[in-house]
Amino acid sequence: MSIDINKVLKTLGITDVNMGVSTGQEWFETKGAITTSSSPTDGNEIAKVKNATIDDYEMVINKALQAFKEWRLVPAPERGEVVRQIGLELRKYKDDLSALVSYEMGKIFQEGKGEVQEMIDICDFAVGQSRLINGVSLQSERKEHRLFEQYQPLGVVGIVTSFNFPVAVWAWNSALAAIAGDVVIWKPSSKTPLTALATQKIISSVLAKNNVPEGVFNLVVAKSSVMGDNFLADKRVPLLSVTGSTAVGKRVGGIVGKRLGKTILELGGNNAVIITPNADIKMAIASTVFGTVGTAGQRCTSTRRIIIHESIYDQVKNSMLSAYKSITSKIGNPLDERFLVGPLIDEHSVNAFTNAVKSVAKEGGKILFGGQVLEGEGFESGNYVMPCIAEAKNEYEIVQEETFAPIVYLLKYSGDIYDAIAIQNNVPQGLSSCVFTLNMREAEIFVSAVGSDCGIANVNVGTSGAEIGGAFGGEKDTGGGRESGSDSWKIYMRRQTSTFNHSEELPLAQGIKFDF
Amino acid sequence: MLIDKNIFIEELVENFTFSINYLSAKGIKCIACGEPIWGTLEEACLEKKFTSKDIQEFVNELNILAKENN
Repeated sequence: MSIDINKVLKTLGITDVNMGVSTGQEWFETKGAITTSSSPTDGNEIAKVKNATIDDYEMVINKALQAFKEWRLVPAPERGEVVRQIGLELRKYKDDLSALVSYEMGKIFQEGKGEVQEMIDICDFAVGQSRLINGVSLQSERKEHRLFEQYQPLGVVGIVTSFNFPVAVWAWNSALAAIAGDVVIWKPSSKTPLTALATQKIISSVLAKNNVPEGVFNLVVAKSSVMGDNFLADKRVPLLSVTGSTAVGKRVGGIVGKRLGKTILELGGNNAVIITPNADIKMAIASTVFGTVGTAGQRCTSTRRIIIHESIYDQVKNSMLSAYKSITSKIGNPLDERFLVGPLIDEHSVNAFTNAVKSVAKEGGKILFGGQVLEGEGFESGNYVMPCIAEAKNEYEIVQEETFAPIVYLLKYSGDIYDAIAIQNNVPQGLSSCVFTLNMREAEIFVSAVGSDCGIANVNVGTSGAEIGGAFGGEKDTGGGRESGSDSWKIYMRRQTSTFNHSEELPLAQGIKFDF
Repeated sequence: MLIDKNIFIEELVENFTFSINYLSAKGIKCIACGEPIWGTLEEACLEKKFTSKDIQEFVNELNILAKENN
């Protein structure tokens, strides 16, 4: 298969130099710095984007505030209809947008398609949710009174996304925010601005067709000096949804928390697979290899640690090594369907990878496979690496950290499932986890109150990836936020409790008498 | 002076890439999860408990490296 990236860019409306600020259908000339987006695949420049200035940010937020006044009054199912049409439009452009995701970010085309499918899925979910924004009716302690709860639109939602899921995370947030009656301001990663621009262009025809006010779906490509702490501290933005590192998340939490704003923080993971003696090892290996090398280890949910019972340790180790050997010929251009592993996003990530390989060896670990930067034909960008397997101990400093690259640590445990869980939980992060076992007791313990402390705890399903139907997020240093499915929509809304009195009396709660 | 303590880490990463390794050797990570951390050089240093004197020293050395890299 051959993808003509120039044709893709043309179809998506990406030119050599692009405007980076939009309030829906309108695009604005800006005077900020120019970001050059290059492909990690071949190192070639794709296109340039003009960044926003602080004045542009002010203009956008004012438009957003204005739009919110109208959008919150549109019935939720009508807002859902707009999101439904966005989903249809994404279906039309699925292959092109997927190809751009793949080329600009480096994930393989299949995963690019998976990412755009997630956008479509969350649109579908949000459409249904638009008719299910419900509250509860409660029994009042006072006679002829009614007590109920409902959810109201919140306001401007700030969305900060990362390079590794350059468009899906926007969709997770904005589809729900939109049906909730909120307006969004999206700050995409400066490493992947073109996919953001393309997405904004795709949705613009839907916005036009439905007379959606300018300012409901906003995009601002900006440096953190223009849209950083000021964005976080801005009281006009009641909710900030930020996907990124724990370091960034702590900063966000501090600044937004200081003004008592709301956050959804989706931060780093240090995800582990536990393989017990009762596992279907073949299934465990297949799943774990996808978890470790898929997206070149650049998913928040990528598998970082494999905790293996000592009785099957050698068997699992050898199976992993065999699987990795078979992957060596599957590393290459992510747009070429022969390959399963693409490049890392840039030289900095490559450095982080090689530094991690050195660190684990320095701390006493053993490199069993890979760890090199690949050279030669097809690898000229310098961003391709050979995925690494290392034997290590959980207490190593490097194992306690998240390295955003394909390096996985094999950790041996003895004893029972509780011992494996103790190792698994003994890291600062708490995003994704799983156990491979056919033993019901082990599985139940793993997902019980004394089991995994992560936001995601799977049984016979790997750590990597998630369906949009469930709430996505994690605990501890992962930030505690939840987005996407289940009842995550609630955080995009203002919860309100109302008491109605239809009697002719004025009784106070708790029987208090206050006669005057 | 090209670099001062108020420079954003994002700018260091983009325009003075040698800073990443320099600061990493001091225990300051400029990149996490593949993205530059937010904030200024001074803030990143203070978080790691470096003193004002240390920070000035880093700034001086980074400027020397910047000249060499030019």
